[in-house]
Amino acid sequence: MSFILTISLSIAAYSIAVLGTFMLTGMNGLFSLGQAAFMGLGAYVSAIMVVNYNLPFALAVLIAILVAMGLAVLVGFATLRIRQDFFALATFGFGQAVTGLMTEMVNVTGGAMGFSNIPRLTTPTLAFTSLAVAIFFVWGFRKSHFGKDSLAIRSNELAAKVEGIDVFKHKLTVFVLSAAFAAYAGVLMAFHTRYVEPAMYGWIASVTWIIIVFFGGRDSLTGTVLGSIILLAAPEALRFTTAWRTLIYCVLILVIINLRPRGLFGTWELSLRPILNLFKPKKHQEVQ
Amino acid sequence: MQVMVLLQQVINGLSLGAVYALIAVGYALVFNVLKFSNFAHGGVLGISAYAGYIVANQLHWPLIPVILVGILTGAVVAVLVELIAFRWIRLQKGQLVYFFVTSVTMLMALEQVLIIRFGASFESFPYTLLKVKVIHLGELTVSITYLLSLVLTIIAFSVLLYILKKTKIGIAIRAASNDLVATSLMGINVDQIIVATFIVSGLLGGLSGVLYGISASLSPQIGQIVIKGFIASVLGGLGSLKGVAIAAVALGVFEVFLVATIGSGLTPVVIFLLMVIFLLVRPQGFAGVSFTDKA
Repeated sequence: MSFILTISLSIAAYSIAVLGTFMLTGMNGLFSLGQAAFMGLGAYVSAIMVVNYNLPFALAVLIAILVAMGLAVLVGFATLRIRQDFFALATFGFGQAVTGLMTEMVNVTGGAMGFSNIPRLTTPTLAFTSLAVAIFFVWGFRKSHFGKDSLAIRSNELAAKVEGIDVFKHKLTVFVLSAAFAAYAGVLMAFHTRYVEPAMYGWIASVTWIIIVFFGGRDSLTGTVLGSIILLAAPEALRFTTAWRTLIYCVLILVIINLRPRGLFGTWELSLRPILNLFKPKKHQEVQ
Repeated sequence: MQVMVLLQQVINGLSLGAVYALIAVGYALVFNVLKFSNFAHGGVLGISAYAGYIVANQLHWPLIPVILVGILTGAVVAVLVELIAFRWIRLQKGQLVYFFVTSVTMLMALEQVLIIRFGASFESFPYTLLKVKVIHLGELTVSITYLLSLVLTIIAFSVLLYILKKTKIGIAIRAASNDLVATSLMGINVDQIIVATFIVSGLLGGLSGVLYGISASLSPQIGQIVIKGFIASVLGGLGSLKGVAIAAVALGVFEVFLVATIGSGLTPVVIFLLMVIFLLVRPQGFAGVSFTDKA
């Protein structure tokens, strides 16, 4: 597989996780420091199912996503009723607990040495189709009544409650959805790089996704997708040592957030309308 | 004998908790005034720890100047962070979430600076920094670095308490914590107060960085320990420095106990469960100050 294709596959997989964060943090204003742990769960569960139990890939994916969603229900149920910073704290603790368990259960997970020998089942077709479906899903989510409720909760929770939105149920649903996105991204990554280790799923990874969402613009789906492509590709494109390119990347983000707080793309969306308008019959001006 | 082992663990836990308390209070000071989670505090702490390391290792300075260098570096870096990452957004009246995003970016950036300068490996302060290594109290063996952390934390908190209660600037910081807009209406220069808050927070951060570096080891990822400050301040009840300090010490003691009994792998699992139970039982935190506004 060529270098460019390998990188594009990783970017596609991570972009799906970022889209989950876009729904959760960008649209609902909930900060989860444990999103990467859901990605890790997806990766580990599916890899173990396929390698150790010889389950078919599709079934393993389904189980992995369901496990992540189930745990998200538990964590969300316990903490989403109380304040937002509690949610951030609880998801952080959850992430630490998950990576701690991955390191501890050496017999099953291989511990800190990681889990390898995963077959390469993520084909380019699968990865890019998944990304397209995910983008389409989030696009529909934003257009839907449900997505509009999200924005209402983000801008004023009390007002949303008064309007009759069940805020707790809404947040829980979005959190579980975003966990499913992260878990699926984890599956794609695990069967692409063929190796997983607990250190890949710490809280800094979750924070990076939040940064990406804000970089592209949390009010723009186009911004989030392009932002994640730009920022995930940037470390590869800037051919310095890793430390230098991460530093440059951080400075870039600081500049963007300082100069354009609403993100690189603001509220701008890519749309077909200008192109469609070209084909519309022009309205003739009334001649007096 | 069993009692002695227990007592030994309590002392170890208290000294770790003391360093956590320094981190947490430095973090909470900024939170109280600007109401956002300042993760860049971890970067401040990391740079100060390495500044102390440079003067100790290359210039062979003795202990007290090393600590002073760390503290001063903390103040300078904290002010720079405020200028680079927060000042402009604040003047534009940006939302709180943007502060959070720039603060974590700042944490990552400062970490990279350390990696570029020192490499990703672990370092430790020179062995000669402390003349005496341990003190024997009967059957107890107390490491001098632990004792140092405890004593310096107590001194730092006494000074902080004095500043916040008695001096003009401290009262202004407390007023700003209460209501930033009302404070500015009273004719207080809010920009100065914010810089002062960052200086005080940076001083504490610098001290905690050097102390953590001396008693544990140094790596560029040292800044990520700021998360302990975050945990302690949420558990302690945001808005109350006393509650935050208590929560931090409790966290330190718990961690030491759990690592000693069930090992470091399962510790985060138990801490997570305890945290969730605590938040469900007592959502207002240790201190009981309830706080609803938060990004």
